[in-house]
Amino acid sequence: MTDKPVSKVLVLDDSPAHGENLKRFCEENDLVGLKVRKNRLFSVLRSNIDLGAILYADDYGGSAAANAEIALKIHAVRPELPIIIRRQTAATLDDLPDGMRRVLCAAYVSSDMAALQKLIGEYIFSLEYPNALVRGIAEITETVLAGQFKRLALSCDTPYIVRDRIIFGEVFSLIPLESAWCRGYMMLQTEEEAILDLLGGDGPADTGADFRRVNSLLGEITNLIWGAFRNRYVGDGAALSGSQVQVPLVVNHKHKYISFGTENPQLCFLYTLCDEGSGRPVKLYQRFVFNLSWSPEDFKEVEGVDAMVESGELELF
Amino acid sequence: MARILVVDDSSTVRDEVAGFLTKNGLDVATAVDGKDGLAKVKADAGLKLVVCDVNMPNMDGLTMVEKVRGELGNKTINVIMLTTESSPAMKERGKAAGIKGWIVKPFKGEAVLETFRKLAG
Repeated sequence: MTDKPVSKVLVLDDSPAHGENLKRFCEENDLVGLKVRKNRLFSVLRSNIDLGAILYADDYGGSAAANAEIALKIHAVRPELPIIIRRQTAATLDDLPDGMRRVLCAAYVSSDMAALQKLIGEYIFSLEYPNALVRGIAEITETVLAGQFKRLALSCDTPYIVRDRIIFGEVFSLIPLESAWCRGYMMLQTEEEAILDLLGGDGPADTGADFRRVNSLLGEITNLIWGAFRNRYVGDGAALSGSQVQVPLVVNHKHKYISFGTENPQLCFLYTLCDEGSGRPVKLYQRFVFNLSWSPEDFKEVEGVDAMVESGELELF
Repeated sequence: MARILVVDDSSTVRDEVAGFLTKNGLDVATAVDGKDGLAKVKADAGLKLVVCDVNMPNMDGLTMVEKVRGELGNKTINVIMLTTESSPAMKERGKAAGIKGWIVKPFKGEAVLETFRKLAG
């Protein structure tokens, strides 16, 4: 796993001439380009919860009318995803119909990939995440998960930046992260049945696994990660500057959508636990949403954290 | 009468800690937060050791210990904090309230069992 986050972008651009150009661009700019067949576009959009943006071509639909219709549909399905369009002649939205202009965020031309790079920086990598923080979060979480699920194989994907707001699975936890350099939330999302299967295998036979055990386990994992995060990055110097602004969080159950009141991209980690016996994976999405305050220039680890008593050991007074 | 009271708002932790101690022959009761823990300390004179989380709803663990010492006047019951917190300021507050020790989660039972036995004896 690298410390530098990447981002997945859906590439809706069939131009063979531009294809190689775009492939190289993605490799050079920490993007993972995903292609999809046209007949699967909307099922992929509905199911793919970890996208950063959509790279669209103005000839993707085959005609101006079809192109506009597809763009409007994409926006209707995933309004939170920025759509950046490649134009044939000029990097402008001005000559496009009103409706289409409203759903596109910016335009570029293939002869000026520096402009696209700037747009990617603006719409996806707009928040800088220190490598030490990204690495530390993964270390903390892997330690906690390994402690809770001792018999399972654990892996962590390369962290990535997402713009979408779709909730994975059926159960998630949310805990505030408050420090002088960040204010926001950590969210853990997972599938209830997969966790129930794990608990069923591990728990006492007479108790029976139910959803409350899933809730409790997810809560405790969240608590352990939160505690380790605080110990490592917040410490006693948790003094918060400025006013304690809060914004409402909105959860739409019907659409499995959560809003933190900001368009800020989120830092996402995907952990996979696998029981080698059954081979069934359990996915755990961890998202960091610094929606209230973000000052990475003030980020630092708590001094002497390595000298602290190791977890699980008793420090007697 | 139980000898050890495990106070934690997480049922996962309560089950894990109480289950481990019970399996090792100790009498264990549980409480779901500081308020519940305070009531159980008050009601059970046989308790010798409290294993207590810090961050809990209704009443946090350090406030609970301070009330056990102050309001209940119980200066003898042993208290170990079991928490994700490791801040020196919190530990100092715990020491001032007369706690015996501090464990940063996760709980590793085998490492502390003998000490728990002595403190609950």
